[in-house]
Amino acid sequence: MTFASHVSRRLLLAAGAASLALIGVGPASAEDTMKVGLVAAMSGQSAKSGEAIVRGLSLALDEINAKGGVLGKKLELVVRDDESNPAKGVIAARELVQREKVVAYFGGIDTPVSMAIVPFANQSKVPFIGVWAAGTKITRNDAPENYVFRVSAVDALVDIALVDYAIKKYGAKKPGMILINNPWGESNEAGLKSALDAKKMTAAGIEKFEGGDVDIVPQLTRLKDAGADALFMVANVAPSAQVVKSLDRMGWNVPVVSHWGPAGGRFTELAGPSAEKVHFIQTFSFSGNSNPKATAVFEALKKKYPEIKSAADVTPAVGIANAYDAMHLTALAIAKAGSTEGPKIREGFYQIGSYDGLIKTYSKPFTPDNHDALSPSDYLFTYFKGAEILPLTN
Amino acid sequence: MGLIAKLRAYAMPATVLLLTVVAALYAARAEGYVPFVLAMVALTCIVGVGLNVLVGLTGQISLGHVGFYAIGAYTVAILTLKGLSFWLALPLAGLIAGAIGLLLSLPALRVSGPYLAMITIAFAFIVQHLTIEWRGVTGGSNGLMGLPAPVLAGKLFTEREMALLAIGLAGASTYLFHRLAGSAWGKAMVAVRDAEVAARSIGLNPVSVKAAAFVLSAALAGIAGGIFAALIAFVAPDSFPFSQSILFLFACVVGGAGWVLGPVVGAAITVVLPELLSQLAEYRLLFFGLLLLVVLWLAPEGILGTLARWMRRIDPRPAEPGDVAGFLAAASDKGALEVGGIGISFGGIRAASQVSFTAEPGKVTSVIGPNGAGKTTVLNMIGGFYKPDAGSIRLGGQELAGAPAWKVARAGIGRTYQTTKLFETMSVRDNVLIAMRRGRLGSMLAFAANAADEAAAEALIDFVGYRGPIATAAGDLPHVDRRLVEIARALAMRPRVLLLDEPAAGLMAADKDALSGLLRRIADLGIAVILVEHDMRLVMGISDHVVVLDAGTPIAAGTANVIRRDPKVLAAYLGGAEMRARGRDVPWDGSRDAVLDVIDLVAGYGAAPVLQKVNLQVRPGEMVALIGANGAGKSTMMRALSGLLRPVQGDVILNDERIEAIEAHRIAARGLALVPEGRQVFAELSVYDNLELGANTRSNVDYAAEIEAVLTRFPRLRERLDSRAGLLSGGEQQMLAIARGMMAKPRILLLDEPSLGLAPAMINELYDVLADLRDEGITILLVDQIAVLALAVADRGYVIDSGTIVRDDSAAALASDPDVEAAYLGHAEAAQ
Amino acid sequence: MLTSAIISGIGLGSMYGLIALGFHITYVVSNTVNFAQGSAMMLGAVLGYTFGVRYGWPMPLAMLAALAVCALFGLVVERILVRPFVARGSNAWLMATVAAGIVLDNAVMFTFGKEPRGFPSDWAAQPIRLFGAGVYPLQLVIPLVGIGIAGVMHLLLRHTRRGKTLLAVVQNPDAARLMGINVHRTIAISFMVSTALAGLAGLLIAPLFSVSSEMGTLFGIKAFAVAILGGMGSAWGVVIAGLAYGLIEALVTSFLGSVYTQIVVFSVVILALALKPNGLFGHAAINKV
Repeated sequence: MTFASHVSRRLLLAAGAASLALIGVGPASAEDTMKVGLVAAMSGQSAKSGEAIVRGLSLALDEINAKGGVLGKKLELVVRDDESNPAKGVIAARELVQREKVVAYFGGIDTPVSMAIVPFANQSKVPFIGVWAAGTKITRNDAPENYVFRVSAVDALVDIALVDYAIKKYGAKKPGMILINNPWGESNEAGLKSALDAKKMTAAGIEKFEGGDVDIVPQLTRLKDAGADALFMVANVAPSAQVVKSLDRMGWNVPVVSHWGPAGGRFTELAGPSAEKVHFIQTFSFSGNSNPKATAVFEALKKKYPEIKSAADVTPAVGIANAYDAMHLTALAIAKAGSTEGPKIREGFYQIGSYDGLIKTYSKPFTPDNHDALSPSDYLFTYFKGAEILPLTN
Repeated sequence: MGLIAKLRAYAMPATVLLLTVVAALYAARAEGYVPFVLAMVALTCIVGVGLNVLVGLTGQISLGHVGFYAIGAYTVAILTLKGLSFWLALPLAGLIAGAIGLLLSLPALRVSGPYLAMITIAFAFIVQHLTIEWRGVTGGSNGLMGLPAPVLAGKLFTEREMALLAIGLAGASTYLFHRLAGSAWGKAMVAVRDAEVAARSIGLNPVSVKAAAFVLSAALAGIAGGIFAALIAFVAPDSFPFSQSILFLFACVVGGAGWVLGPVVGAAITVVLPELLSQLAEYRLLFFGLLLLVVLWLAPEGILGTLARWMRRIDPRPAEPGDVAGFLAAASDKGALEVGGIGISFGGIRAASQVSFTAEPGKVTSVIGPNGAGKTTVLNMIGGFYKPDAGSIRLGGQELAGAPAWKVARAGIGRTYQTTKLFETMSVRDNVLIAMRRGRLGSMLAFAANAADEAAAEALIDFVGYRGPIATAAGDLPHVDRRLVEIARALAMRPRVLLLDEPAAGLMAADKDALSGLLRRIADLGIAVILVEHDMRLVMGISDHVVVLDAGTPIAAGTANVIRRDPKVLAAYLGGAEMRARGRDVPWDGSRDAVLDVIDLVAGYGAAPVLQKVNLQVRPGEMVALIGANGAGKSTMMRALSGLLRPVQGDVILNDERIEAIEAHRIAARGLALVPEGRQVFAELSVYDNLELGANTRSNVDYAAEIEAVLTRFPRLRERLDSRAGLLSGGEQQMLAIARGMMAKPRILLLDEPSLGLAPAMINELYDVLADLRDEGITILLVDQIAVLALAVADRGYVIDSGTIVRDDSAAALASDPDVEAAYLGHAEAAQ
Repeated sequence: MLTSAIISGIGLGSMYGLIALGFHITYVVSNTVNFAQGSAMMLGAVLGYTFGVRYGWPMPLAMLAALAVCALFGLVVERILVRPFVARGSNAWLMATVAAGIVLDNAVMFTFGKEPRGFPSDWAAQPIRLFGAGVYPLQLVIPLVGIGIAGVMHLLLRHTRRGKTLLAVVQNPDAARLMGINVHRTIAISFMVSTALAGLAGLLIAPLFSVSSEMGTLFGIKAFAVAILGGMGSAWGVVIAGLAYGLIEALVTSFLGSVYTQIVVFSVVILALALKPNGLFGHAAINKV
């Protein structure tokens, strides 16, 4: 099996690196490379997200290096596992900046980890680019000199879009929330509440569930009894599937409007046919994408990672796409800065003009007042048809 | 104290200081993220020290310390965000964590082992969920950010200063542990861990001792958490995952639980190792897990524990004699112990009722009676382990009935146990010293004993007759010495009453004589001695007053001479006469082909073998006795033959098959059944189940018929057939153990000390059974401390001395040999 | 709402009970527990998926093969992670089995993949109506399997001679050896049974849930809580505690709201142990002074 041999080869490399690390010899770092870092969950529940980010970054990095790198130097990616633990994330960020001397580094899926890194990033004056975590305050952190950028959705804006969609599409009057009990769920709870407030609406109920919960019928029954006429769902793909299966068992046919969690995996395989009824928000999808850049990147992915055979294997696509564009944007910022000094790179981000990216064509993506490259106009609603994600046209 | 000893006393503080200074200098100069990593090592070390108090000293496990760490962190985060100074918030973090630790200790201390692990796990989860749900205060899942950095004397703390603070506190807490471990509190924690029952009987209140450990441990974790919050300037529930608890425990265990520097080593490994592995990115946890396993494998007692095992040596100095009378006189205001009409029932069965007697100071009062008569129950009521349903127990006017054991002990009642209960990991000297506190532990930082205490302890150890090194761990002592040290420990409390539960059990004649003298001398110092004992020679020799119990009620009381002739006592207890055993009517004459042939057997436990080239034979249908002094190697022999002790050298041949290299269960299947010393019945299983298990090696067993046959031979077992074996009296358990051995229908039956702890009448009954078995043609190898009985019932005998067979003759010849009699048959006159 | 909560609770509770039976069996035989039990459950589900779905083996064969490997894992845990420590009188087996769980979870993550997969089953496709609430047939099977196994284990341990040899081992290993009982083998078998039970639980839960390398962690902890709550010593106690635990979870969620579920459940565990230190159905060991 190619997959197995691939794994064993990587394990062997890792073992070699471990023994080197133990005797205190780091890999030789040549003078002609420039390091960029990644602090993300590489193990545990969110390991898949870390893998997707690494793929997106590596792909972009290969393209950049093939064209001679940046400022005449090849880029090198240094990856650290934060185990979804903010404290470990801070240590990893410090290590990347202070020992590995990265010129910029990327963040992973977990909002608390990114939040914990933000003060250090602003204090050490090395740009930190979020490619997934959607917590609003990560980029809007009130620092006088903000070194945190993002190429990803923002919860507060996603939530407005979700509420709009539920009203427009389903005429929802009393929607309920079914949220994963983690920081992401909590962040969206706040976002959805204020989005509903803006529409002078209140939620029928707000229910939380754990990632390991098998049966979510009790929570859903509460929402049903409270008269919910639509559900906002915020959870990763596997827990989202548990919600759909529980709805199935209850025989409750209610519209479900979801954050992008279902896009993170094989939603229909996990949740069964009812999965197709869930409408969820997206910033990017390979399937049904006519953009030639998307086709090219998908081919490159298949070549670099042989275990990818169809669009269904490229999950979560948003992670790959955000990371890919973020890497390119960062390289552009460094090129604009003409320097590897943090403050200059920060200025470089503001000077990026137009960049033809995977998600869209960016035009002045960053300004001192806006550190988010994506905006609500980039969000689209999608659904699963079999293993494919298809856009919804409304 | 000599110069070297003085230097040694300063070695540990100096090492701690040196490590702290080196770490601080490194943190002060190093660049980059090194100070940060050092700070994390120091914080893990502080939590590790806290866990070391819990795990290393009191032997409790906590998988929930991340809960206390989180409580400390959130306390500092919330308070400093509200504007309180960090320097006030940090001690508060420790206090709050400690207070919650006290609260948690209420349920936690009622349970142990995996149950305690679960309570602590549940606690950690509750804290985690509270930090998520109590959003108004904790900021919910996304936590609290932007904590102000501490300021001291106008200096804003960066991670470098935080690292210095953490390192300083880590050094201080390590030193604190060093002092604590040397203090009476530390010793009390170890005592409670080693033998909680015995700890109560020297006046220690296990609840307060364990609670103190819990509180201290929680407070240290809270303080570390507080610094952590200020260091990261951000707290969120995800920073305190359950896995962190395991890492903390690992930091404590891998360095060596109980060792002062254990957490330092452990913290360095658990924090630095993942940093070294950080380049592995997603493979880090996998390798970290594997490395943890390797470290545990190489050093299961922790790194320091394993190192210490290699370097261990014991100061051979014995105790110095001293003024015991003066020491004991200090507390003795001569009041009698008055026991008035006490009684108790267990589950409707009256174990004792209407027991009354007075134990005068300076007198030996003995309580005798058949096994199961309620003697130990009476001792347990006096000692405060059972609460009597009725009656009073007064010492010098103070009512003690129903008071807990530790209060009874502090009131001046010391005791020893049927099976000695020493603090196994503590030295002989420390066993005595901790008892001397009478439960008053003083400061946690003061050394446990001053020079006067140590001199008094040594005097007591010398007084009871222990001549070995006083630094020996109690767990390594031979049986006789365990008895003596236990008595010394009880005396160290300056008791007015001393309760002794079968102190002579398992002792040889000479040792019993010495014990007898010791008890007399103790009484002569003005202490009321209460003795429960089966050895009639001992009892009759030294008792001033004897109380006889049968079935829980006193049937007679008076001087030894009166009791000796009381017909009721003779019938119930002494079996109508003194000890006897029936010999074979016709001398044995059977096949000379041995069932069991032992050739040049060498066996032992450590470097020096206990058995040195032992040769022995048992022929079919023959009963052979093996006699010798305590420690001569009799039980070792039985364990080696049955396969419990491996490896052994030499040849052991059972029915023409060599068995010296095979395991115990295979030997049992080949037809050798050992009835082990101390009965070893399956306490939680019913009598019936025990009997069934006896036939485990056989197939096609007609259980109903065979158990019926066994019950006919041991009628006492019939009425107890369905009760748990552990609830049987000693004599009944012994009968059950033999019956269980019989169920195997063995080719040869080995009996190790069957009469141990039995009342005289019971011993007679037992020996009648043995004689019957012999007459029925069962092959038996018998070891018994009452050599005169063993030789009376056996056909042949071997005398073993220092691991070698020194005589081998017919039993009759050995029994009449004056040399053998002098050395081993001290009971001859008692058994006339 | 009550009916559906009760049905949910029984379904969940019997899963916890099934894994908890594994803790019970090693504890009554050897006084140790395998803290990698949750990982064994995950292994059962992952291997069932790999053999049955990825390799396309017939499902009964795939399940048997998965259980066999789980049992083998139990054997390995006992041989190299428990026995060496117990033999030296160290309780480092606790840390060692925890570490084994970490290693197994991560090793599976790299071989099986980081993505949760769906385990198709006809028994969890179409819900049937029961007292007005919908359930998958599999949800009814799990309690039956749990109660059935508890019954078999109870009969085996308390009423058969072979079972009593298991109980003898923990009470007095030396005496058990003298009765001709192979103590090492008995303990090894108990660990194999324990991990096989966890694996079975994994296989049964997989179609209701999803298969991934970290699915066992939370189940392992909850099952441990259940085993402790039931008193470790009694198979019935463990299963009943499992049902109680599942019911409390479902009822609290239904009537108080999900915010309070974990806090209430874990508080109940602490409270129950404070009142009954040997678990709800355990009894104190005989301890003569």
